[in-house]
Amino acid sequence: MTTIAFPTLISRPTSYTGLWSWIGTVDHKRIGTLYGVTAFLYFLIGGIEALIIRGQLNTAENDLVSPEIYNQLFTMHGTTMVFMVVMPMSAAFFNWMIPLMIGARDVAFPRLNGFSYWAFLFGSIFLNLSFVLGGAPDAGWFGYANLTGNTYSPGDGVTFWALGLTILGVASLAASFNFVVTILNMRAPGMGLMKMPVFVWMALVTNVLMALAMPVIAVALIQLGLDRVLGTNFFNPVAGGDPVLWQHLFWLFGHPEVYILILPAMGIVSETLPVFSKKPLFGYPAIVLAGAVIGFMGWFVWSHHMFTVGLGPAANSAFTISTMLIAVPTGVKIFNWMGTVWGGKLHLNTSMLFSLGFIAMFVIGGLSGVTHASPPTDAQQQDTYYIVAHFHYVLFGGSILGLFAGGYYWWPKMTGKRLGETIGKWHFWTMLIGFNLTFGPMHWLGLNGMPRRISTYAEGMGWETSNAIATVGAMLIAVGVLIFIINVIRTMSSKQKAEDDPWDGRTLEWSIPSPPPAYNFARIPQVKSVDDFWYTKHPELLHDERGEQTESAAPVEEDTHGGGSIHLPSMSYYPFVVAIGMSIGIVGFMDIRADIPSTDLQLPWLSVVGIVVGMWGLLGWIFEPVTAEGGH
Amino acid sequence: MNLRRLLRPLRSRFLLLIPIVPALLVACNKEDAQSTFGTSGPIADTQASLFIFIFWIAVVVFVLVEGALIYSILKFRRRESSDDSLPAQIHGNNKLEIIWTIIPVFILIAIAIPTIKTIYDHNGPPSDEGPVLEINVRAHQWWWEIDYPGEDVVTSNEIHIPVGQWVNFTMHSDDVIHSFWVPKLAGKLDIIPGDVRQLAMKADEAGFFFGQCAEFCGEAHAKMRFRVKAEEPEEFQNWLDSMRRPPVELVSDDAMAGQTLFAANCSSCHATNTWQAPAARNERTRLAGLRTAFIGNIEESAVIPAPNLTHFATRATLGAGLIELNSENLIKWIADPDDVKEGNRMKDLAAPYRNNSLSSDDVRQLSAYLLELKPVAADAVMEPASGGATGGTAEERGETVFTGSSGCSGCHSTGSDALVGPGLADLSSRSSDAEIHQSITDPSAVVVKDFPDSVMPQIFGSTLSSDELNDLIAYLKSL
Repeated sequence: MTTIAFPTLISRPTSYTGLWSWIGTVDHKRIGTLYGVTAFLYFLIGGIEALIIRGQLNTAENDLVSPEIYNQLFTMHGTTMVFMVVMPMSAAFFNWMIPLMIGARDVAFPRLNGFSYWAFLFGSIFLNLSFVLGGAPDAGWFGYANLTGNTYSPGDGVTFWALGLTILGVASLAASFNFVVTILNMRAPGMGLMKMPVFVWMALVTNVLMALAMPVIAVALIQLGLDRVLGTNFFNPVAGGDPVLWQHLFWLFGHPEVYILILPAMGIVSETLPVFSKKPLFGYPAIVLAGAVIGFMGWFVWSHHMFTVGLGPAANSAFTISTMLIAVPTGVKIFNWMGTVWGGKLHLNTSMLFSLGFIAMFVIGGLSGVTHASPPTDAQQQDTYYIVAHFHYVLFGGSILGLFAGGYYWWPKMTGKRLGETIGKWHFWTMLIGFNLTFGPMHWLGLNGMPRRISTYAEGMGWETSNAIATVGAMLIAVGVLIFIINVIRTMSSKQKAEDDPWDGRTLEWSIPSPPPAYNFARIPQVKSVDDFWYTKHPELLHDERGEQTESAAPVEEDTHGGGSIHLPSMSYYPFVVAIGMSIGIVGFMDIRADIPSTDLQLPWLSVVGIVVGMWGLLGWIFEPVTAEGGH
Repeated sequence: MNLRRLLRPLRSRFLLLIPIVPALLVACNKEDAQSTFGTSGPIADTQASLFIFIFWIAVVVFVLVEGALIYSILKFRRRESSDDSLPAQIHGNNKLEIIWTIIPVFILIAIAIPTIKTIYDHNGPPSDEGPVLEINVRAHQWWWEIDYPGEDVVTSNEIHIPVGQWVNFTMHSDDVIHSFWVPKLAGKLDIIPGDVRQLAMKADEAGFFFGQCAEFCGEAHAKMRFRVKAEEPEEFQNWLDSMRRPPVELVSDDAMAGQTLFAANCSSCHATNTWQAPAARNERTRLAGLRTAFIGNIEESAVIPAPNLTHFATRATLGAGLIELNSENLIKWIADPDDVKEGNRMKDLAAPYRNNSLSSDDVRQLSAYLLELKPVAADAVMEPASGGATGGTAEERGETVFTGSSGCSGCHSTGSDALVGPGLADLSSRSSDAEIHQSITDPSAVVVKDFPDSVMPQIFGSTLSSDELNDLIAYLKSL
């Protein structure tokens, strides 16, 4: 075999244990674990920020934190929960489960996968470092121009935000390409698109959305960065720029982003509900189609975030109609999930409770959404706690409960151990009750005229009681999270092993050992139908219910690679190096500031260093063979 | 599998569990100051009733869906943990799919029709309900500049409107995006810098309505509040008239001392003289000039647009609708504005705070002065424009003009120090009488190097009598 001779810049990791093996890993399961653990740590940080916010709002005229700190806290709470918790936690499940559910041995681009994680990690650390480096961003997670300009946000906080999110955006883009290609190209033989598990379908829609939406926010963030760093005027009205342009770009990204946050959870419950109801998913094609339609229509509703901007009656009417229409496919999903439960034999374990809780809470969030899909009512509700209540019912009641359902469901597959059930139910009920205590009263607060993003409020507005209840609820959520942590610690320190297929699962990941070996599938399965593994266990059901004649879906004795040896991509340090280089390259723009006269404009040396490191890493990446000589 | 078989479990039993309808409306106290219910004008009325309409539809859907969910959880839960038998394996039902796609479409059409009708109804004041009162609103970080075009009335943070008449707010922003919201009268509308927004509303009953900025606008966003005072038309007209009458004579010594302090330290940003028509007409230009001066030198600027305080003592609140206006609160505010409203710029910019030279006597005197700022009664004899001093030499009378309510000394020192404007020591060696006259009456004609254009009001040609002008010039030449 001839290869281009290129000096080995750094040698590959050799050991499969220890710190360096994690830094060099290209195994989708390990990367999934890294995503999951990191996202959970940020969930704790974002949660602490939320608790301080609730502490401040607990009583009228409170002074637990200054407005300056308060504004940083709610900005970072939103930014953290969206970009550093729900998205990477979904990525953790994508990483872990997509290859296992489609019968693949890894993702399409294993090293790019590593790069995505490291870029996410560095970007998120950079963003949070702002707390100790002169003040965190304080212009809101939505960063409305022109408050984000140097004139009104003179510190470095917003620059941290723009550059940090740019890094996170690169990470998300790389990940989305990877998952789309993986899903389209790496399915086991026989698994047509309409035989894919619904979770994989929703992952596909999510990642297509991500690949298309991230460039939009990237454009906006680069414009913002240029406004701040080089003194351009994209969003500066004094110089002819347009602050509303930012809103269009942000929400053109932001609304698809909402579906990026919720579709993975919808995919998860589409897996758990059939398994724990002992029935196939009701209306598989309808649920898939509804998911795809939501992904498509999600692009035509962005201005409903801008009903009070004053875009005029025609625009508001058009976006009202598109927004109301998107409720239809969402309803179709909910009805089909209920059809799945209906007539089943429900195993009400923790994962199932979280899944049912997801439906119940998501319905509330969806209905409150319809009430402000109407611009005249939204004129009273926009920027009030009513909206805060609404999207927490969707993103906490929806996404977070759905992700916990997935956590309990796949924990045995990922770790070989089952999370405790009794303590798990405590976790569920504390969290569900705490959640409703926190966000239920916020509906009322908003209708009673309490605006969002206010660091304090006057006495006698009728807001004290609801706020106090919400604070108690938030503490109850914190207790729920603590119970979960205890559950994880107890589970992981116990010796009890889980079976390979503890739930009588339906999809391919349950056909392999728990935890799976590095190569996942000793033999690549031959897929005959949707829920293939289930029908392998119950071949008689294929005839019975479908009324169609299908041959028994016995595993086929064929390895697509032929022979006995399984080729896996080898570990590599280069994804880590390139991620560091890119991150430093972007961070380097902190060096230059628009408010320093242009004659003093210095070269961003840090960026030069970053680019050099990144290019060096890229060259190493290109010339390093995917698989080490003789490596398996 | 047909629909009937699918729904059989429902027939056999009643829905025993009635899900709890959220007690939102029951718990509602319409009297709360910013409640979006118990509204007082047609716009907010329609918005509330449209919400109630959609809300009840949502409640019905909520009860049906959550009820069905809870029912099926109770009904279909596995009763024996050892029961591993499989229920009927149903893959779907096309009839149901069509039904639960179509029904929501009809529900949403039912919501969309009144919604879109209301959107168009609320697009400006109706043309057939009498004359519309125009009011200009300009939002600033973190207060509201208000003026009544054609009326020569300027004020801030408390907006007076007549009951029963449509009002059209023409809204600008001087800095970032804000949102104008008076829940009892109308839903909010954002105010975009560099653009203009129009919001029409009407109050059907008298009241003192709470308003608040609804778009996050920086550090003191939470305290950017205001009030709308809706009063009977005669009362409203009386208020407009009173805003054009001169202030009463100061009575207390504290107030008189406070006037001097105010002129020297506060009047470069805060106007108290817009009861005079020329000053009222110039107020926008003056504030725009202050804004240019501030933006041109953010780090060190000593000026910024600040709320108009004409007839301040007639107001009910202080600090942009923040706290009740009384002596105690006003003293607290002047002593440490940052303690009352963190982020506000007064403490950063005004010289007495910067130099730490504000004594508690000063605070008391300033407060006394502001609390005597109210118009003379309607039947009082109209005083000449400026409380003119008649005795003494021309220089002495000129000094009174300089330090008095014209506010020259707020921006100009009599030494060589530059404040907002240049120091005036030794002026006679630099300028002729005619040049000084021109600089007072038409300050934009010649602007001293290194000082911003259009900061000095263009009003003194009309607010000062020719005698006063001559006295002032005599005084300035004596420096």
